Amino acid sequence: MNEFRRELEAELGSAVTFDPQQTKAYDHDLGEMPSVLMAQIRPVPDAVLAARSPEQVASALRIAARHGVPVTPRGQASSGFGGAIPTRGGLLVDLTPMNAVLGIDPDAGTVDVQPGVVWNALSARLRHAQLDLCTCPTSAPASTVGGWFATGGVGIGSFRYGSIGEVVQEVDVAGLDGRIVTVRGPEMELHHQTCGTLGVVTALRLACRPALPLRSFAIQLEGADGVPALLREARERLDAYSIAFSSAAYLRMRAMAEEEKPAIDRGLLALVTVTEPPGSIPDLAGVLAVAAAVGGTVLPEEVARREWEDRFYPMRIKKLGPALLVGEFYVPAAAFAEACRRIESALSGDLVGIEATAVRGDRMAVLAYLVDPGAGLLFPLRMAKALLPMRIARRLGGSAYAPGLWLASETERCLGSEKFAAYRRKKVQMDPGGLLNPGKLQVTRPRWFPAASLSWAIGIGSTLAGPISRRIPSRRFPAPRPAR
Amino acid sequence: MPSDETRALISAERAEELSEAIDACARCGYCKTGCPTHPFGGGFEAASPRAKVHFLKEQREGAAEITPEWVDRIFQCSSCERCVEVCQTDIPLVEVWEEARAALVRLGLGPMPAHKKMREFVEARNNPYNEPTEQRARWMQPHHQPTPRAEVLVFAGCTASYRMPAMIQTGVTILQRQGIPFVYAGAEEVCCASPFLRTGQTAVADRLMGSNVDLVERLGVKRIVTACAGCSKTLKKDYPGWARARGRPWGVEVVHFAELYARLIQEGRIGFTRSVQKKVTYHDPCHLGRSQRIFDEPRAILRAIPGIELVEMENHREESRCCGAGGGVKAGYPAMAAQIARDRVREAIDTGAEVLVTMCPFCQTSFGQAIQDMGAPIRLAGVDELLLEAAG
Repeated sequence: MNEFRRELEAELGSAVTFDPQQTKAYDHDLGEMPSVLMAQIRPVPDAVLAARSPEQVASALRIAARHGVPVTPRGQASSGFGGAIPTRGGLLVDLTPMNAVLGIDPDAGTVDVQPGVVWNALSARLRHAQLDLCTCPTSAPASTVGGWFATGGVGIGSFRYGSIGEVVQEVDVAGLDGRIVTVRGPEMELHHQTCGTLGVVTALRLACRPALPLRSFAIQLEGADGVPALLREARERLDAYSIAFSSAAYLRMRAMAEEEKPAIDRGLLALVTVTEPPGSIPDLAGVLAVAAAVGGTVLPEEVARREWEDRFYPMRIKKLGPALLVGEFYVPAAAFAEACRRIESALSGDLVGIEATAVRGDRMAVLAYLVDPGAGLLFPLRMAKALLPMRIARRLGGSAYAPGLWLASETERCLGSEKFAAYRRKKVQMDPGGLLNPGKLQVTRPRWFPAASLSWAIGIGSTLAGPISRRIPSRRFPAPRPAR
Repeated sequence: MPSDETRALISAERAEELSEAIDACARCGYCKTGCPTHPFGGGFEAASPRAKVHFLKEQREGAAEITPEWVDRIFQCSSCERCVEVCQTDIPLVEVWEEARAALVRLGLGPMPAHKKMREFVEARNNPYNEPTEQRARWMQPHHQPTPRAEVLVFAGCTASYRMPAMIQTGVTILQRQGIPFVYAGAEEVCCASPFLRTGQTAVADRLMGSNVDLVERLGVKRIVTACAGCSKTLKKDYPGWARARGRPWGVEVVHFAELYARLIQEGRIGFTRSVQKKVTYHDPCHLGRSQRIFDEPRAILRAIPGIELVEMENHREESRCCGAGGGVKAGYPAMAAQIARDRVREAIDTGAEVLVTMCPFCQTSFGQAIQDMGAPIRLAGVDELLLEAAG
């Protein structure tokens, strides 16, 4: 490590730190994991590079490879799958300082960016060129383009444009040999969703949409059974840009956190967002027709405005916790209602808030929230409830949202068998020593039981703990208040 | 050696409230992207508000040690409240930093040397600039005529009194023209305590606040008007709680001149005789905008002035960037404060405005220096100044 340090500092100077106070700040992400789980890995990196250029990233990778040091790339770490948490210490590459917009091509409708650019900042820049983002995460005020690509995200706009992988056209990737190559097509796809385990993305080219104004409508559904029809109608009648759903229970939680009345007190709120060419008249007839076709009710404009304004603030409910247990998964739209029913039934002792985003291809990306005190001896046991929704979705043809570290055993299901096979071949070729983001999408050996696999242990442990954990409610809630 | 309990930076006094607040941190990083001081930490996470919250939690639980570097990071905050504005779980982050700073001062680990100097000055002369107490009223112009008794007290504040008098001078001139009688306490007015509350020096703040509360009680005023964003924030937000905790009276209404002018214009009491043909951009002072939600009034004043063209900077209102001067940063970290001010001036220049206007003498000081250092092609003015020019 001494020789590695000497070489890294000589090459990268003050961009790199070995100060334990600095490196300690990188030992976690959004997820709050029980200490017993964190003890199974070495989450504190030995060194951190605050990268400012592709050349710095390439140099760091070359030096790390020469010394056999693991490398963990990191964006804003604004997800909870452990994808940016080191498992074996080593070098962490913080890509947030690489946040330049490299160029906008208004004719081609594309933008070239460094990986650390923040989504909302990019949107602001694009609007000067009459362009805007096709899709972005609900964490857009902080999360980075590179991080979301590496996670494989879907979010606002995914109903029309699909996942981030469908919006990115090409990426530059730095490998352990210190070379940077531009990849696109199937080759690029292997870097999407795979947490930088094949190389560190140093630039991306994204397709953009014309910066047409957006307008949202709120429709109350009696339940989730009407969702597939709503998606169909909204696509055919409105060519909707984005559709998000919030259950009455979720809105109740949020209303409690904000000390106000919930928007609805039963069913599901669908927020349908459309693009409007300048000067056009809002297609109210179309919206009413969509609502009528699914037996829904169009809610006042104020409700839609509020929901749209709050789109980047899904975690307000954490104030009630202070912890949140979050189950995140994909499920076919046709199975969404059944998934909601089974989750609510399985966790009948808890108030389960559901938020979902419709994704092109009739899929739903779903978040199931439980508000939890987050403390006490039983907390690790209660955490098992967070995996239950994903397991239910899997039985209905769904999968985990992202494998990352904690759900690495779900990788094949997340990526699909074909992509997974191609990924594994590529991994052997690019990183035979397993230095690139070790433990993500692959086996991590727990420190206490090196013969086992961490994610398998989590899977088995949560399955065994599941029946007991369901009997331990997280946070009790008072009776509902009437809707506003 | 203090016990573990007393070493906790989130102290027992506010432990429950603030501990609960930081426990709710979602770790989303919204606070990091807008923080004006984070970029000065070399691009590393530890300089972000998110990391500071994480440190405070770990420190509380005995998993992290207070080090000189962490003390430094805790003091590297301009209390601009941008982090508070964007926080998903509404953590009162600036209160958290102030509480942590106060604990560090109690432990003898803070504040920064420049902050200690300010305390020495204020202890000797009731202002942090070490200016003579007896000259506190030197900003007054010959035509300014306070009365011995009135409902309104003009609170000039230290920066306006000794460094940037234009705003308070204009304000008092307008008061007089409106025939609003006012009291001014001169050398009896002491620092509002803002610099000391922000830097954790609560003992001296206690003395200053007590003195001003005594003054207000003695004068029997109903309203305090001030031109300083920092003074008005402190008098509005900190004094009521301080007085309540000590069983002291504090029933006065605190008004910033921005609020007063907007009200007078709305009531048709300020007429305009001249046109001011200028393209201006308005900087929202953090302690006026985010702290007091005074965003509309300055804009209403500017829009009422004939000839003024108001253009907005990329970051304005709730998203306004900081001038770099607040929270003890200008005193403790002058290079950092100067760079933040220069960045903001560049943003103002990008609008194509001829004049950068604001309503805070502290911001004026920062921008004045930055414009001079940069040789920037933009003039600096107070909103008040343009108002007076148009009112003839």
